[in-house]
Amino acid sequence: MMLARVADSLYWLGRYIERAEHLSRLSSVMLNATLDQTDGAQAVWIAMAAVGEPGDGTDVSSFDAAQALVLDRGDPNSVVSSLARARENARQVRDQITTETWERLNLLYLKVTDAKAGKEFSDGSAIFLHDVIADLHLFKGAADTTMSHGESWRFMMLGIYMERAQLVSRLLEVCFAESPTHGQVDDHVALVSVLRMACALEPYLRVYTAEIEPRHILEFLVFDEDFPRSIRFATAQIEQHLSAMARAGGGERAAPERLAGRLKARLQFADVDELEAVGAGPLLTTVVNECARIHEAIYETFVAYPLEMRLPA
Amino acid sequence: MAAKTQTLDDAPTLPMTEAAYLPGVAYDEMFTPDGEVRPHYDPLHGRMSTLGAEELAGRQRTLERSFLLQGITFTVYGAENTTERVMPTDLFPRIIPADEWKRIELGLAQRLQALNLFLADIYGDQQILMDGVVPRELVLGAPSYRREMQHVYVPHKAYANVCGSDLIRCQDGQFAVLEDNLRVPSGVSYMLANRDAAKRTFPGTYRAAGVRPVERYPDLLLSTLKSMAADWRNDPQVVVLTPGVYNSAYYEHAYLARLMGVPLVEGRDLVVHENMVYMRTTTGLRRIDVIYRRVDDDFIDPLTFRRDSSLGAAGLFNAYRAGNVVICNAPGTGVADDKAVYAYVPDIIRYYLGEDAILPNIETFLCREKRQMGHVLENLDKYVVKAVGASGGYGMLVGPHASQKERDDFAEAIKADPDNYIAQPTIQLSTAPCLVDGRIEPRHVDLRPFILSGEKTIVTPGALTRVALKRGSLVVNSSQGGGSKDTWVLAEENGHANGNGNGGHR
Repeated sequence: MMLARVADSLYWLGRYIERAEHLSRLSSVMLNATLDQTDGAQAVWIAMAAVGEPGDGTDVSSFDAAQALVLDRGDPNSVVSSLARARENARQVRDQITTETWERLNLLYLKVTDAKAGKEFSDGSAIFLHDVIADLHLFKGAADTTMSHGESWRFMMLGIYMERAQLVSRLLEVCFAESPTHGQVDDHVALVSVLRMACALEPYLRVYTAEIEPRHILEFLVFDEDFPRSIRFATAQIEQHLSAMARAGGGERAAPERLAGRLKARLQFADVDELEAVGAGPLLTTVVNECARIHEAIYETFVAYPLEMRLPA
Repeated sequence: MAAKTQTLDDAPTLPMTEAAYLPGVAYDEMFTPDGEVRPHYDPLHGRMSTLGAEELAGRQRTLERSFLLQGITFTVYGAENTTERVMPTDLFPRIIPADEWKRIELGLAQRLQALNLFLADIYGDQQILMDGVVPRELVLGAPSYRREMQHVYVPHKAYANVCGSDLIRCQDGQFAVLEDNLRVPSGVSYMLANRDAAKRTFPGTYRAAGVRPVERYPDLLLSTLKSMAADWRNDPQVVVLTPGVYNSAYYEHAYLARLMGVPLVEGRDLVVHENMVYMRTTTGLRRIDVIYRRVDDDFIDPLTFRRDSSLGAAGLFNAYRAGNVVICNAPGTGVADDKAVYAYVPDIIRYYLGEDAILPNIETFLCREKRQMGHVLENLDKYVVKAVGASGGYGMLVGPHASQKERDDFAEAIKADPDNYIAQPTIQLSTAPCLVDGRIEPRHVDLRPFILSGEKTIVTPGALTRVALKRGSLVVNSSQGGGSKDTWVLAEENGHANGNGNGGHR
């Protein structure tokens, strides 16, 4: 049993944590790509397009863009804003998360909101972002090893995987969906950057060796069963957490589980040939839309349900 | 103020020796007026003398960092921006010997018992008002008097389930009560956090001193709250009601809920249906039996009290009247800690219990009485004047420290609304050693113990010692630049089995 408001906060805590990590990685890869002799412009464009600000790539330097993406408190889609919101949600459910978990997040929040953060970032953006990502991993580890894996934890995990499925879909859409304005990404440096942005480079190499091709990347990030950042893996997790919650609650809690199960099955029984035949776009759009429907169903079932249905007779 | 004038330069640097510490005219917790270390401070004094300035500063930093990390912060509402700050914490504990505590304990239990009887009476037959012991208009006219509470059944007559009284130690070394807090007293999380920190800062000294534990507070609070539920409710559902994350004491609300293992709810989580209170959970509505509310009376129910409040739940008070839920502390307890009613507490104790107050009051002048007001106005430079309705150190004049203009302005305010003011002589609160800017200096302190009252009355063997961190200042409120320190209540010598190392000194 937990408060509906608390479930809501834990869910958003998970989403903001995942968003902060993803944004940190995008900035980090983007800055790294521009260091090489070869043209890093495509990587910059991918990162900016993935956060919804494609621009024309000339108006701001990649460093300024990365700094804004990380430290701009005025932008709701920055790392610092995501962390501030994660902490705000964590503070509202301080009684539900363990001290170990809270401390990781609070420490990180204090670090990125510190007056010296701007200087630290310009002195060594790579180290700064590396530390932020490492701290977020510590947070997840602390949650995993110290929190009871009950309903509170499940809502947080649900938030993490919902956000992940949508972020990875969005990233792949930007790179591989057909579009009138830009072609598919095929440059080697850019493809490596895409894998880095999804934190997938090393696991990918173990499966496909150093042959880096769009087809393999799509196969890996959409369909791989074991890689924790593939869309299929994320949907399987979503389905698993929702079905555990439905089991605990009875009939009226099954709606989100059904939606998640359908999406999971869709990914389970499709393959990359089919994807190539019709293009990646439609499937990725389906994933984003289905996630939005699952999100709504979660709300209607667990959080903002109509009271008349639940009042004692 | 202090007769001896000291400047910072008078105090030599660390390590600490007797000569480096210059107590003023106030009673000092560690030193006798002759400069001897009081026996119960021996172990701590011994440790302090061996630590250098660097070491102490390092420990202070570790302490503050651990508070920041845990998010033990309070919110300061400023004119321009609202910020979160760590409550300043001093690393030296304040130590109270067993015999002194015994008296405090008895005095506080007596006082709360009498105040609960007083509340039961004024919200019942009002015998004390008929007998003229307390002026009728003083009670019934107080804004904190809630006529809605008239004839509401309160289990065990325990109106104030959690009480935090402010005690001070006067120049003669005696403890006196400065104020009772029967509404929603806060600070208990600092007591627990300070203890946690002190154990890590002075582990050896802590062990040697034989300190009574305070760690049981959360489970004692829970059993007190459960004892308020109706007998027929098996395993009553207790919740903590908070105004929300923006409240300055939010940390404490979450902390207590976490340590009691009960939900922390906000008004918007509650639903009242047919005089039952429910909370919205992920599995539907769930009934609530006891609400430990940290929301002021005014805000708990927009249907009964302030209509513009969204911090409570509509219909909550009717559910309470119907006996389907218990609100702790009961609404309307504020009338018993009213600063004007305070003056009558010794009479109240005598009236209900037939005993003299064990802990004395501070002499108090009520400006509502014409003669007393005249006296106060003539001697404004000697008194502390407080607005009856205000708390937290706001709306207060410290006569000896105020400018002539401030005193004149305050005199006008008193004349305009005499009922709203009381005056008390300026008391030299006792001082205790604190680490300030790398030196050990005396700072004024008070003492806020916490008393629980349900089926039983329990005085927690510990307290929050609040510190006025500004040199010479007598205002300890955290909103006014006060800090806190841990308070060690020592166990009786023979009650402590493993020889606590201070036996030889008594």
